[in-house]
Amino acid sequence: MNRIRKLQGPALILALLALLWIIVILVLLVLKPSVFSLGTVTTILQFSTILALVALGQAIVILAGGAGIDLSVGGIVSLSAIAGMLAMKLGLPSFLLPPACIIAGAALGAFNGVLVTKLSILPLIATLGTFFVYSGLALALTGGAAQSGVPSWLLIWGRGVFSGIPVPFLTIAIPVFAIAGIVLMWTAWGRWIYAMGFNERSARLVGIPVDRARLILYSLSGVLSGAAALISLAWLGSGRPNIGQNLELESLTAAMLGGIAILGGRGGVGGVFAAVMLLVTLKTGLLQLNVNTVWQVGIVGALLVFVLLADRLSQNWR
Amino acid sequence: MTAPFLVAKGIAKRFGALTALSGVDLEIRSGEVLALLGDNGAGKSTFIKILAGAHPASDGELVIEGVPVAFSSPKDAAAAGIATIFQELALSENLSISENVFLGRELKRSVLGVPFLRRADMRQRVDGLLKELDAHISDPEAPVGSLSGGQRQAVAICRALNLNARLVIMDEPTAALAVAETRKVLALTRRLAERGCAVVLISHNISEVFEVADRIVVFRRGRKVAERLRAETNPEEIVSFITGAHPDVRALEKAN
Ligand SMILES: Nc1ncnc2c1ncn2[C@@H]1O[C@H](COP(=O)(O)OP(=O)(O)OP(=O)(O)O)[C@@H](O)[C@H]1O
Ligand SMILES: [Mg+2]
Repeated sequence: MNRIRKLQGPALILALLALLWIIVILVLLVLKPSVFSLGTVTTILQFSTILALVALGQAIVILAGGAGIDLSVGGIVSLSAIAGMLAMKLGLPSFLLPPACIIAGAALGAFNGVLVTKLSILPLIATLGTFFVYSGLALALTGGAAQSGVPSWLLIWGRGVFSGIPVPFLTIAIPVFAIAGIVLMWTAWGRWIYAMGFNERSARLVGIPVDRARLILYSLSGVLSGAAALISLAWLGSGRPNIGQNLELESLTAAMLGGIAILGGRGGVGGVFAAVMLLVTLKTGLLQLNVNTVWQVGIVGALLVFVLLADRLSQNWR
Repeated sequence: MTAPFLVAKGIAKRFGALTALSGVDLEIRSGEVLALLGDNGAGKSTFIKILAGAHPASDGELVIEGVPVAFSSPKDAAAAGIATIFQELALSENLSISENVFLGRELKRSVLGVPFLRRADMRQRVDGLLKELDAHISDPEAPVGSLSGGQRQAVAICRALNLNARLVIMDEPTAALAVAETRKVLALTRRLAERGCAVVLISHNISEVFEVADRIVVFRRGRKVAERLRAETNPEEIVSFITGAHPDVRALEKAN
């Protein structure tokens, strides 16, 4: 019996996600037709921008294998946002806020990468640890209080809407996903990521710098979380120490739902993007239906278990 | 006879107190298939790991085309033109044939420092190699996960060819294959030698060795106990070398 998994058609995953998405929208339409307005679409896309960036980081870390996972993404988002705001309070010129958030994210991600590649700590454990450290630090530094004082020019960008589509979505999320897709499909780097994700030993034998690549990918995940932190600042107008809450769960769900194999080496970013849209639509719908946030988290969690189960079963059947 | 591609002189390998190899002298010639035979634990794999740069030798020297070399990693050996096909092959099943052949040394076009793949060129080159090997694989873009064991060996051999390897080492390439696939891999092995490569083949299958090898070397307990041209020996003699029943081996072992 040939148990080797063929590359799954990304088209299949996209079709399934689109179908699910339509079902969610139809159910919402029946339950609460008033939900649908341009405003709702804008809100969904605004939330999507943040989750999309974080989920992309999660996806590439998982794709590169070696039991890769980044549970600290939510912590990185919270702490980068707080770090940027605090740096401004300490006298950083406001035009340097965007690079400050990104650099903070990169440093926190690189720290994860060092734990995983240099100290050989299991990614699940390493990033669980840094998740507590980063989110705890964000709370400790602020005493839990939101940090106000986001420069107004940043708000203009962050809250700008261009024919119903939020400007950050247009200027960050879409270009970043396009670049990620191109790099994964059309460059040698992309092939290396797939190769090391699927069979690390053979990747090492052919001379792919596996550890360096992995360190870079964890750092990139941090950069993307830092960018998400910046967008949250530019949108909400203040730095909240718990802004990244539950992002690890949601990004993981989006990556899995989008067809990234949990063991690495399989999947693409298009599916992740579609999965983010589906998840945010679902969450927004639940919010509009006045479903308790505790339940929302529960539903996302259940979805994650379901996707992993489906992945597992499809593996056994093939 | 031409000058040998590689000469091993007095190679020894000790793992702590255990002597896995001692005093092995061997010449490896281009265009020739050299078979290494020997019982389990005779030191065959240890020897090729030294050739492949995976182990340093405890003693002795390797000379490639008259120049002494010292390998500290498989990369050094590859740079010297030695490609090793390990039994587990080291292919990425999620990538295509041509991606595997070029993995780690892709043909690329750099745009702003980003290495974009030249897929068409890679495909064409692999197509040529597969044709040359007569490997019966029509589509270089097929995922390696969909290939049979023999076809995978062909891809691994393609990879070695693409590295411009001068010496290809194969550790039990047919151990996991059925009859028809074994035939194909043996034919590929011959074709490699005809292209002017030196080939070292490890096998436990004597009839297979007699079919494909030009020269046969037998290892026993870490020593080279026999070296014969195929035309000058027969399976019975080789078996007696392997088991130690041959008078020469007895004499050798008594002397030590
Ligand atoms: N890394 C190692 N550490 C310690 N001992 C080793 C190591 N590698 C091999 N040996 C020992 O060296 C001896 C030769 O082993 P080797 O693997 O070369 O045998 P072989 O001829 O390839 O046998 P087989 O036909 O079973 O593959 C054995 O006694 C083995 O236990
Ligand atoms: Mg062996």
